[in-house]
Amino acid sequence: MKEIMAVVRMNRTGATKKALIEAGVAGFTAVRVLGRGRPLEDPAVIQEHKKQLLAMAADDVTDPETTEQQVTSFLDGTRLFPRRLFTVLAHDEDVPRIVEAITGASSTGDWVDDGAIFVLPVVDAIRVRTGESGEAAIW
Amino acid sequence: MLLIRAIVRPEKKDELLAALTTAGFPAATVVDVVGRGKQKGIRMGDLVYDEIPKAMVLVAIHDEEKDRIVDVVMKTARTGESGTFGDGKIFVSPIEDVYTISRGGRGL
Repeated sequence: MKEIMAVVRMNRTGATKKALIEAGVAGFTAVRVLGRGRPLEDPAVIQEHKKQLLAMAADDVTDPETTEQQVTSFLDGTRLFPRRLFTVLAHDEDVPRIVEAITGASSTGDWVDDGAIFVLPVVDAIRVRTGESGEAAIW
Repeated sequence: MLLIRAIVRPEKKDELLAALTTAGFPAATVVDVVGRGKQKGIRMGDLVYDEIPKAMVLVAIHDEEKDRIVDVVMKTARTGESGTFGDGKIFVSPIEDVYTISRGGRGL
């Protein structure tokens, strides 16, 4: 038995749910979380994204210095972004299939920050309704 | 690889995240949780508060970094000279596999 914890983008929640059903997994638990990943390191990439974000943020009301501070905090790895944490229990042999389904549904292909999947061992699981335990309790 | 689940006081969350960044653990996931500890919550006369808000910080690390990250959490999340009830707990569980979605590959 394995526990699959997947952190995905908020706007990929629907796609991930659909992919899980297609992979034959109906049950999951989802939580709103905040997260951050490995910060960007390439200064050229940071400059480019900073320019893009500053252009998007341009308005007459906000103090430019505040805007600059906010944009910088988006790129230096200190800011937490909203994410959805999926927890799925699975039989050992289903893990690669589920991981593939989540990866396919939640990768955007254009940037970092698409999230991560952790696979943890589970010692036991018990279904409350029937009291059955072990592999039978998963689905 | 290990998954560290540190349950800390919510007001210590920002300090902990900053300390983790300086210690070389930039990646983290934060969940707002409620819970109680061995003291069965906070009792004030007839009133019992047993859903005390805490912040749970999840960090995936390599095995050899465990002592260092535990040390960082202990140092920043502890309140007072020798710690206080309600400062939180650290749970360490093994991770069998990690996949990074944007890179599409395996590993931290």
